[in-house]
Amino acid sequence: MRIKLKNLIAPAIVVLVLLLIPQLASEYVIYVVVLAMLYAILAGSYDLITGYTGPLTFCHGAFYGLGAYASALLTLKAGFSFWLAFPASGIIVFLFAAIVGYPALRLSGHYFAVTTFFFGHFIYLVLLNTVKLTNGPMGLRDIPAPTSFLGINFHALSASYYLILVFGLLAVVLLFLLVRSGVGKLLVSIRENEELSEAIGVNTAFYKVLAFSISGGVAGLTGSMFAHFFRLLHPTTFAWMTSEMVVIMALVGGMGTLFGPIIGAGIVTLILELMRFAPELRFIIWSVAIILVLIIEPKGLMGIVGRLRVGQGGKR
Amino acid sequence: MIFQQIITGIIVGASYALIALGLNLIWSITDIPDFSQGGIYVIAAYVSYFAVTLARVPFFLALLAAMAVGSVISFILEKFLYKRWRGSGRIQLLCAIALFFLLSNGAILLWTPKAKIFPAYLQGGIPMFGFVLSFQRIVVLAVSTLLFIIVFLFIQKTKMGKAIRAASQDREVAQVVGINIDSVNSMVFIIGGALSSTASVLISPLYAVFPAMGDLPLLKALVGGFGSVAGVLIGGLGLGLIESLGSVYLSAAYQHGFAFFVLLIALMFFPKGLFGKV
Repeated sequence: MRIKLKNLIAPAIVVLVLLLIPQLASEYVIYVVVLAMLYAILAGSYDLITGYTGPLTFCHGAFYGLGAYASALLTLKAGFSFWLAFPASGIIVFLFAAIVGYPALRLSGHYFAVTTFFFGHFIYLVLLNTVKLTNGPMGLRDIPAPTSFLGINFHALSASYYLILVFGLLAVVLLFLLVRSGVGKLLVSIRENEELSEAIGVNTAFYKVLAFSISGGVAGLTGSMFAHFFRLLHPTTFAWMTSEMVVIMALVGGMGTLFGPIIGAGIVTLILELMRFAPELRFIIWSVAIILVLIIEPKGLMGIVGRLRVGQGGKR
Repeated sequence: MIFQQIITGIIVGASYALIALGLNLIWSITDIPDFSQGGIYVIAAYVSYFAVTLARVPFFLALLAAMAVGSVISFILEKFLYKRWRGSGRIQLLCAIALFFLLSNGAILLWTPKAKIFPAYLQGGIPMFGFVLSFQRIVVLAVSTLLFIIVFLFIQKTKMGKAIRAASQDREVAQVVGINIDSVNSMVFIIGGALSSTASVLISPLYAVFPAMGDLPLLKALVGGFGSVAGVLIGGLGLGLIESLGSVYLSAAYQHGFAFFVLLIALMFFPKGLFGKV
């Protein structure tokens, strides 16, 4: 695993800009960038199951929501501190994904995709209707900010911004190491030819459930970050629209590339935010834009990047 | 009470089955989970609504007009968009989701999110088992049954139907033996568009017309949309019944969540779908 220095320039610039944002930008911009970062982690973790391993899923928004509610309820009702609730929410969603994924992943492609769709919708209904626990359509309020740690007070906007940035960088690095590892190669072998990789002795069922659960667990952690940054939760944030959005972000960026979905998520969030001036035109403009992009470069953003590099005489 | 719930369930289930039949044909032949049918469902409802209220056309002409509009949209989308990316399913999926957003948000932009009430086209009904089964509901059942029989006969008896069945089993081999896959694709999209439009126009007078009306039926149809024509029928009707009875006897709040369990349980026992391919 050799990483060329040249390839680190662009990520370094992005990280530098992200580091500077709380110093330079307004509060509104900080909120938008936080959303973009959260979506980027979601899309990156989504890429692990759907991009690298293959099965199409439509329930990432539900994992995100489960993590957010688990973490918020643990702090609000069980008195956990954020630093316990955060890993706990990741573990809860990981186990949940394993329990759902174990039977569901035996289904062949389309049936599995549809099942995840309904799993996502079911979770949304649970969040909406278990009023005693989740406060239902009223949403959860007054979720505590992370308690002070190493003398850092996370009630300050910039401190909690940096917390999410650090979490995001760690998540991306770990996902990157995972997809580059032997396990990552096994996942790709399942995507490319499931029967064949089973024939050479790969326990495909196990690795598919593993990828699904890790992917869900990271989404759960992201949800926890969301809950304690914005400090209020509403079930509609995690309705099926969010899951669709993650799918679109990953596809726009180019699946199976990890960085593609992450960049795609950033760009899609920023574009949607920029179009707030025309709320009723927002989705129309951007669905037309997606279709146009597909006509021009079907491989997504990473396809365009690859094409530019080839054009400059570089190699992919 | 229970009879009323059963009838309501069958009627809603029939509409799921209609959409599912089209979606299933499209999915088994082109591998596209065609979300845009949810958008066509919405557009068709508005077409029939305006045909009835503004142009004062009789309901059944409005139904035909909506079917025509639906199949034309579906045909155009396949011809100019999906066809372009044949073989790369992920892109077709992205396009399908984008089209669904485009069509349903287009409806919000053109006609506002407010629900419109579809005027009743038939008054009265038949009293039975302590409630009145309205003629409008009988029409839903009659037209759905008729369409199911037509599609079934079309797939079983005609040359085109045989080509569709062949292509659903193995696309490459079907092409090798000389089946024109382009016209098969166009055909299933035309049928799909017509069926989703019919489902929407039949159901709208019983409920209302609004831009988000396509979301849930589309999802439900994906559940029912497995396997053969008989499988789609049983899947759709079964889901309608479970939802209708479940909403009364179990929990109304989870009415739209039952599908998940039905699907999980059904697929546990039949991982390849209920009745195999078309």
